[in-house]
Amino acid sequence: MNVLAIKRLTKKFGDFIAVDDISFSVGQGEIFGFLGPNGAGKSTVIHMIASLLSISSGEIELLGKNIAKHRHFAKSNIGIVPQELSIYEDMSAYENVEFFAGLYGLRGAQLRKSVEEALAFVGLGDKRRDYPKNFSGGMKRRLNIACAIAHRPALIIMDEPTIGIDPQSRSYILDSVKKLNEMGSTIIYTSHYMEEVEEICSRIAIIDHGKIIAEGTKAQLTSIITNQSHIRIEVKSGERVELEGLKAIAGVRSVEREGGWIKVSSDAEVNNLNPILRVLTALDAEVIAVESDRPSLESVFLTLTGRSLRD
Amino acid sequence: MNIIRIAIKEVKVFRDVRMLVFMLATPILIMLILGTALSNVFNGSAAIGEIRILYENGNMSSMLESRWNKLVQEASGSGIHFEPASNREAALQDVQAGRYTGFATIAEDGISYTGNDRIGVENSIAQGVLAAFADDYKLALAMADGASVEGVPLSSTALRADYVQEASIDGGQQPSAMDYYAVAMTTLIIMYSAMTAGQLMDNERKRHTDIRLLASPVSRMEIFIGKIIGTLLLNGVFVLLIMLFSKYMFGVNWGTSQLTVFLVLASQIVYALGLGIGLSYIIKGNASGIVLMLIIQLEAMIGGSYFPADVLTGFFGALSQLSPMKWTNGAILQLIYQGSAAGVAPAMLFNIGAALVLLTLSVLLLRRREGL
Repeated sequence: MNVLAIKRLTKKFGDFIAVDDISFSVGQGEIFGFLGPNGAGKSTVIHMIASLLSISSGEIELLGKNIAKHRHFAKSNIGIVPQELSIYEDMSAYENVEFFAGLYGLRGAQLRKSVEEALAFVGLGDKRRDYPKNFSGGMKRRLNIACAIAHRPALIIMDEPTIGIDPQSRSYILDSVKKLNEMGSTIIYTSHYMEEVEEICSRIAIIDHGKIIAEGTKAQLTSIITNQSHIRIEVKSGERVELEGLKAIAGVRSVEREGGWIKVSSDAEVNNLNPILRVLTALDAEVIAVESDRPSLESVFLTLTGRSLRD
Repeated sequence: MNIIRIAIKEVKVFRDVRMLVFMLATPILIMLILGTALSNVFNGSAAIGEIRILYENGNMSSMLESRWNKLVQEASGSGIHFEPASNREAALQDVQAGRYTGFATIAEDGISYTGNDRIGVENSIAQGVLAAFADDYKLALAMADGASVEGVPLSSTALRADYVQEASIDGGQQPSAMDYYAVAMTTLIIMYSAMTAGQLMDNERKRHTDIRLLASPVSRMEIFIGKIIGTLLLNGVFVLLIMLFSKYMFGVNWGTSQLTVFLVLASQIVYALGLGIGLSYIIKGNASGIVLMLIIQLEAMIGGSYFPADVLTGFFGALSQLSPMKWTNGAILQLIYQGSAAGVAPAMLFNIGAALVLLTLSVLLLRRREGL
């Protein structure tokens, strides 16, 4: 069952078309990635899903209900982690989560339990009485997440949740996202960091200038530009290495010499680096360096738009 | 329920030390400084300025009226101004309020005069002038022996107590400087709360908490109402604390109808809230804060925050009549020191009425926007 269905969604600001006739769906239990450069329209799409912006045309259905007609239902079942920190610095961590969770109808013992669980989940259980103004950037980001998940929404929207934080905190947040998903949450994750999206998302849509230019799993997306991966291996006296053994490895399409390098082209979805190295070892070839040339989402975006994701 | 939840969140601002210092310590400190430094100004004497006296024609003969008009003309050159009263009751109220020194009824059988004994020196001068006029007229009549007294010049004579009947309005207890500035500083700090009110929605936008609020199943009206109720409660508590602190620490007299005084102040809180929020929606950006500050300063100047507004004359005197702060200060002082609630209803009606207009406008503008 689809948790979210977007049908021909458009958003105009005057004459400017920020989101241009996009359609996609998010299945139950998916982590759906929304990848695109700054200004592509990612935040505009999720703000429409969260009813923060009106829709110019099209439809959004959450759990089968049109959100424009069932606004209260839709809002009750969505949790949003905004790109900007959305917390009160003059209220404690506990008070922040309690306040926002209370707006979703949680009361009494159930509210307290949900708040404690949310804070524990993001690793701020022992900081419940502390104030965000004394938190590090990573801790504030975690509190930002706690405020979104306390009411156990059917759909969690995370808009660039790791912006501006240290790698350790980023790793913690990505692990938290995976854990949430394992617990059954459906997540929409937007980012312009391809590595994050590649790591955690089951399906990805690439958006640029308000349009979805590609959608699918990572393998499906990379196959748009190529169905091969390339490994280049620098071997001492490589010109004397027999190549037939390498050609026989599963998935290998071609083997070529490039000066002192051996280039092995394989099917994109096959990871055969270890077998290749074993064959070379068996041939007494001395491996000096290895380079991998696997297609990434960055290269997919570059191929489709002529620009890099970081532009 | 969410309205209450949002209101309680607003009240938690009470824990902000800077806010506490500003809302409590500032008015109390200024109260103490001005109340101590200017105590002589309220208890001592003051220079005599223009003397204004209202009068009515109590059936003057043409001869009397002619001499009276001459007196009116000549006295104005000496700073004594006789003005015809349109209505006796209104005239007496003006005298009681100190806007005029006294009220005289000029008639053939004598002059009756009612003065405000709070304005002692001016009152005496007015009595003296009227008594002298009365004597002059009687003398002129005697000299003319039935003929016209037109040619008989006015002159000063001794006071004739039997020709001028005097009465005085009990001006009542007067506020000391501390008492005066307790009221004035309380109403001033309430006006400054309009600045905070103007930031109510903007603060949510700056903190990006508007995103989370609007994404929740709470309507914008619930957010709007909750924040207003919370701010009202917060400022109400601050005002109560100021009243209690000034009463028990400085001995300030808040009168015997302190609940009514508080209600008048509460209505001013509503007005300040409406003014701040209304301007924040009508004028975008930082300009609303600048305009609001100008309005507050102007109201403070002509409304009696720094000195009693009754001393203002001419253009500024007329302008001060339009100041809601003057109405509020006046209503409270009248209630405390004259036991009269005459000014309470107009002040409260204006405060609440203006707030309703501004808040309604804010709601209409809010509906036209996306977000807060």
